[in-house]
Amino acid sequence: MMLADAIRSETWRLLQNRTAMFWSIVFVPVISLVLAIGGFLFLQSKMDGAMQTLPPELKLNARAVNLGQSLVDAAGALAHPAALAFLLIGAATVFAGDYRWETWRLITARNSRPNLIMGKAGAVKLLTLAGLALLLVASMGADVAKGLIFGRSFAFGFGGDEARSFGLLALLSYVRAVQFLLLSLLAATVTRSLLAALFVPLVIGVGQFFLAKMSPLFGWQMGDWATMLLFPGEGYELLKVLVQGGMEAALVPAGAAWRALTGLALWSFAPFFLALWWFQRQDLSKE
Amino acid sequence: MTSVIETNGLTKTYGAVRALDGLSLSIPRGGVYGVLGPNGAGKSTLFRILLGLIRPTAGEVRVMGQHTGDPAVTRRMGSMIETPRYPPYLTARQALRWLALAHGMGAEAETDRWLARVGLTEAADRKVRGFSVGMMQRLGVAAALMTRPDLVILDEPTSGMDPPGIQEMRALIRSLADDDGVTIILASHQLLEVQRVCDRVAILNRKLAAEGKVSDLTASGERLRLSATPLAKVMAVLGERGSVQDDAVMAVVPRAEAPALLRALIEQGVDIDEARWVGADLESVFMTETSSPAGGRA
Repeated sequence: MMLADAIRSETWRLLQNRTAMFWSIVFVPVISLVLAIGGFLFLQSKMDGAMQTLPPELKLNARAVNLGQSLVDAAGALAHPAALAFLLIGAATVFAGDYRWETWRLITARNSRPNLIMGKAGAVKLLTLAGLALLLVASMGADVAKGLIFGRSFAFGFGGDEARSFGLLALLSYVRAVQFLLLSLLAATVTRSLLAALFVPLVIGVGQFFLAKMSPLFGWQMGDWATMLLFPGEGYELLKVLVQGGMEAALVPAGAAWRALTGLALWSFAPFFLALWWFQRQDLSKE
Repeated sequence: MTSVIETNGLTKTYGAVRALDGLSLSIPRGGVYGVLGPNGAGKSTLFRILLGLIRPTAGEVRVMGQHTGDPAVTRRMGSMIETPRYPPYLTARQALRWLALAHGMGAEAETDRWLARVGLTEAADRKVRGFSVGMMQRLGVAAALMTRPDLVILDEPTSGMDPPGIQEMRALIRSLADDDGVTIILASHQLLEVQRVCDRVAILNRKLAAEGKVSDLTASGERLRLSATPLAKVMAVLGERGSVQDDAVMAVVPRAEAPALLRALIEQGVDIDEARWVGADLESVFMTETSSPAGGRA
């Protein structure tokens, strides 16, 4: 009950912060949709003449837009670094806001410290869910716009395989996003700084990306323990490949999925529990 | 007399600085209790410990019979420590709504009623980023009281308020204690306000310097004011027990010795125009009790 109070109050407060809400979950879907439509319109205007000379089977309107497949593809692209960077704005506001505005003293008397931290994590998980849902809608909107602009017909092939792939990819993207955002919780709690809550996860994420690309230099291979435990982003990509299947999936070493899941779980739970442990001992009179 | 707060040997050090030094204090349930002390006397540290914001270095503390920091206890407390701050994008009404939700309350929090009680109805939909210190204080008091707590801790509640605001706040505090049975612990540097509104006070100087009913504390410092001539003869009789203030002599003597003193003065040829007892105010008691160096090093 008291945990529900903490989640409710954090979520309600975040909803009042229109600036954070706009930049964290509205901006990326809107801008990606606008850019996609602009791109399609530009392409259509440039291709108009050339299209007349192409045989029917090569024209841009030759095939129907399969919205079912679009949905699956979009689910696999939800945890895009740009989307995560903007989601971080809302997460950092939730995690570091009470240090920034010196408001911990107002709420610590109203709930237990574990509940307060879990309430913040719960609010950010809801924010992530909303952000990814809007991205999904924007992605689908872009595909519908593509069909309309190029005069293509629409189909919706969404059988059992597609539903399974969609569910797993969406879940993976969500877990990856939450894992990344929980770094902000640890940074905020330890440093009491909004800027640190924003930039520490970005620096760690960028560092992990480049180190992962350099990992063959250290003799590490895709899917081994070192890469999966150090680079959760690589684990996410590997699991995506396995869900999507095909030739690439066949190249994934045996047991790599479990190592990837272990890495993602480690990078999700460790920041959360470290933040909780630190917060339990924190002097909140010095905000 | 049941206690709402009990501390025993309560000590808090920040590095080498000792903010509280073995404070033992019992605050009774009901009424308005003042906590006084100079800057750095440990008032805010005491409040932060009571609210579970910080942990004591040594000693014991019980609030309503329970350990501090237990949400079951702190949810029965309302507090305003120094000037409260709020997320700047919230309006006054939203700030109270947010805190009500954090407390597990919905419409029963009656946020509008509390905004009215602290005089913020017209500013209810203004963002708090534009609020003055006095308005923040009013909002802080509303936030502290909105949850119908049994115990309220107010640190400098009238800081930054205009005189009518101070008067309204005083009336609100007294009515909460008298009509609603809320125990209020109040810290303020405005000693006249404390004297007017508090039933009992504790004077801290890192440890307990004095404690008791306001009337008892001020009575213990009462003096005999003598309008008499010649002053030299009066002072010769009184010696170190007397001091001259505004053409009168203030004599520190027990009431039982006053008749003998007056007879002695008359026998010495002193003309006494007036002799009356003057009670000490809280300010003089405060100055006396806190004038000794406290020694802030652990």
